[in-house]
Amino acid sequence: MIEVDELVKHYRATDGSVVRAVDGVSLAVRPGEMVGLLGANGAGKTTTLRVLATLLRPTSGTARVAGCDVRTDPIGVRRNLGYVSATTGVPDRLTPREILLSFGRLHGLERDGLKARVERLVDVLDLGSCADRPTGRLSSGQRQRVSVGRALVHDPPALVLDEPTNALDVVGSRDLLAFLSTLRADGRSILLSTHRLHEIEHRCDRFVIVHGGRIVAEGTRRDLVGEAGELEDAFFLAVQAAAGTAP
Amino acid sequence: MRFGTTEADGRHGSHREGGLRAALAIARRDLLEFVRDRRTLFITLLLPMATYPIVALASALGLRTAMSDIEARQIPVPVAIALSGGESRAFAARVDGLGRGRAGAAAGVRPGWPSRIDWKFNAKPEDAVEKVILGQADLWIDVPRGVFESLDRSGTVTLEIHLPASRPGTRRARDHVAAVMRSLADDARQRRITAAGLPPSTLEPLRVKFSGETTTQAGETAESILPRVAGAILVLLAVLTMTVAFYPAIDAIAGEKERGTIETLLIAPCGTRDIVFGKFLAVYAVTLATLAANVVSIVLTASVTKRFLPAGGGLPLRDLAMAAGVTVLAFAGLAALAAATCLAVTTASKSTKEAQNTLTPVILLVSALAGVALMPGMRSDSVLSVVPFAGQVIVGRAAVSPDDDSAAAGDAGGQQSRRKPVPVVPLALTLLSSGCLTWLLLRGTAAMLVDEELLFRGPDAAGGLLSRPARRRRPSMAQGIGAVIGGFAAIWYGQGIAPRDLALAIPLQQAALLLPLGVMLWWQRVDLRSTFGLRWPGGRGHHGGSAAACLIGGGLIGAGVFVVGAAVLLAMKGTGLSADAKELSQRLVALMRAQPWWLSWSVMALLPAVCEELFFRGWVQSALAGPAASRGRAAGAVVAQAAAFALFHLLPERMPQTFVLGIVLGWITLATGSLLPAIVCHTAHNSMPLLLLAALTGEPAGAITGIPAGTLRIAAGCVAAGVLLVALGRRGIGSWSRTGGFRP
Repeated sequence: MIEVDELVKHYRATDGSVVRAVDGVSLAVRPGEMVGLLGANGAGKTTTLRVLATLLRPTSGTARVAGCDVRTDPIGVRRNLGYVSATTGVPDRLTPREILLSFGRLHGLERDGLKARVERLVDVLDLGSCADRPTGRLSSGQRQRVSVGRALVHDPPALVLDEPTNALDVVGSRDLLAFLSTLRADGRSILLSTHRLHEIEHRCDRFVIVHGGRIVAEGTRRDLVGEAGELEDAFFLAVQAAAGTAP
Repeated sequence: MRFGTTEADGRHGSHREGGLRAALAIARRDLLEFVRDRRTLFITLLLPMATYPIVALASALGLRTAMSDIEARQIPVPVAIALSGGESRAFAARVDGLGRGRAGAAAGVRPGWPSRIDWKFNAKPEDAVEKVILGQADLWIDVPRGVFESLDRSGTVTLEIHLPASRPGTRRARDHVAAVMRSLADDARQRRITAAGLPPSTLEPLRVKFSGETTTQAGETAESILPRVAGAILVLLAVLTMTVAFYPAIDAIAGEKERGTIETLLIAPCGTRDIVFGKFLAVYAVTLATLAANVVSIVLTASVTKRFLPAGGGLPLRDLAMAAGVTVLAFAGLAALAAATCLAVTTASKSTKEAQNTLTPVILLVSALAGVALMPGMRSDSVLSVVPFAGQVIVGRAAVSPDDDSAAAGDAGGQQSRRKPVPVVPLALTLLSSGCLTWLLLRGTAAMLVDEELLFRGPDAAGGLLSRPARRRRPSMAQGIGAVIGGFAAIWYGQGIAPRDLALAIPLQQAALLLPLGVMLWWQRVDLRSTFGLRWPGGRGHHGGSAAACLIGGGLIGAGVFVVGAAVLLAMKGTGLSADAKELSQRLVALMRAQPWWLSWSVMALLPAVCEELFFRGWVQSALAGPAASRGRAAGAVVAQAAAFALFHLLPERMPQTFVLGIVLGWITLATGSLLPAIVCHTAHNSMPLLLLAALTGEPAGAITGIPAGTLRIAAGCVAAGVLLVALGRRGIGSWSRTGGFRP
């Protein structure tokens, strides 16, 4: 469902130097699979996800969502992808219901179908108590749920989330990840980035660890840490090994 | 840069999403957000309701005071006249007789006469002077001896009337006494005619009688003031319209960037232009709503203002419906332009603060442009109606003001009852201009909206006020605009101290241009090779033939463009150039004739070519195009620097040609990846006057009234051949845009 092949994204800094934000990343997320994209700050996680969301143009390589290439069919990608950015990304003066309705209209949903879809999302995301209050007055957890609802309003088969639990407390994180698990169970492909490893350690099916724009380790939890041990240890080992071998 | 092609961007897709539907969804969402912002809503919609009454009240009170003053001046007042001289009593009796004579009523009835004359007779002139000094008399007349004999028979009597140096009312006393003396002279003429045995009609061969009523003086005053008041109100309306577009535009894009919501819009299944159009619709709707509130406020204020005016001084708005219709239409175009301008500026900013800081001077610039419409001679029947922000005010003012344009249209006086014609052509021109500029701005905004640097990069620099920013490959857009502003200021102020001799003035002017560039270069360290294109044309791995083709091509284009431009100028203007343009031409010819050719050539051609290319096609174009320019942004940079290049030449006649030359030079630089062909082109262009002068030795300056057809054909051929050579010599414009400018 989500396929990234030898993805490269370079950009030019103001001093003229070339920054290799993503340098040959390849990964795939199958339907019904949740993959965690792990990495330190500046590792290239957000850039990879932004390329997948068609916000950035790849320098080379390919990225596809539901068979649509980000270069040649960005509209197809956007139609099949739900994207939750690192910032909550919801307008403060609109209510959750209005936000969901407006994005539904942007995705071309018909009026009746859209209303039913929005009410279902309000119900599933437990937004009933705050659906008609401005989002600026909601808690971080509620805002993040609105953001996820916005990404799901057009019922996309693939979901990309950039550090979705960053602004949430323990309860909010757990609820959100539990909800993502139900989406995975529906057959959606989910790719999420985070550096709060303990939260997703037992939620994701596979992990991809990136460092300096390159993949330094990938596999299931068992592949990475074995039967015992912590994912965090495996992460540090992989990053340190990559840093040691970096040119 | 996000994916640029139209098809790939889904703008013409067959899906239900995207297109107008998406734009309307975005507009609806943005409007809803705007309406929720009560404070801004209050400022944008209710502010006009308070602004116009205040302006109108101040204007009406001023007008009322002015008219009251005029009326007060027309009321006769008594005058005390001190007389000296032997025949002073007879003189006073003659004047009194005149006052009673014709009208058979009080003296004050006669036009211009005082309401009463108090005579103060004095035996000695010193006594009369004393009375004037003490304020007992307004003036003193020393009646000469034999005055009546001279008056009634022949000769000219000189009456010396002495006024005090300064005292309130002196001027009115003088005007009254002047009227009395005119009556005395008329009486003397009658007496002389009678004495000569001629009929009284000798002095009145023609008598004119007007039938009908004319306006009162107060009405005339109001009518003369109306164009100014209407113009000022329209300028205020233009500024308020621009200011109102400011708030929603900032919120629509810079605010979304700051809140992190812009990304969620950019991943919607619609094209960037749909997003920008949706945003534009929202901002335009708010601006139009405010415009409507403004117009309602103006109309209500105008009707209320009548109460503050003296009787007969009501604003004589004729053809009110037509005037209002034309103004609203013209300002609907202005509102679109304001909305698009604000959106473009805010899209080029990374935060709301940056957008506010940029928009404030833009609003000042718009105010200045709108204010130009108030200058004398700004007529709607000229091309000025296409000038953004000034044209709309000019057209609106022409529609509102009673006789502003009708005189130019050939209206004879006294035809005020005729309906004022609708200014169809100026209105159409201003609407067309507004539409085209709005479209261009929206295109530019769409390109900027997905510019990765503007979307995702952080602030340009960190550190204290005086700490120099980090080295860059190329200057930033702000540094490019800063150089243009600094350079223009230097050129403008340099005019005041420039010597008359062009051999000195031109180098000083070029130094003034390079001064801000030098400061900028000191402040912002850049890659000189990349910024100024300091390399052989054709890029890395070039061969001599390619570079030579670019250089020769540049030279041919420059020479050809000069001749073609001169032909067009002569065809359009003939020899009817402005005084400034003629003076400059004469000074240039004088320079060429007075100095050796190499000095003239260096000053007129080589020096400006090098300096101006470094400035415009080097620093400014590099800055505006940015480090990773798309094709659209590169084209925008070429057009913008060409406009600045034209503006720097100050003389309006030269601007079209210099604009075209700027475009050509920008394209050559872009195509060849080097500044050298542009320098050669510019040098060739500026060398042509010298060559032409050498060819026309012996002919007086200004004798050229046209370019021979053969010469014109050769020039056009040179341009075509030059373009071909540059095209052959370059690596390809596509590679430029892909590599982000000059090839490394």
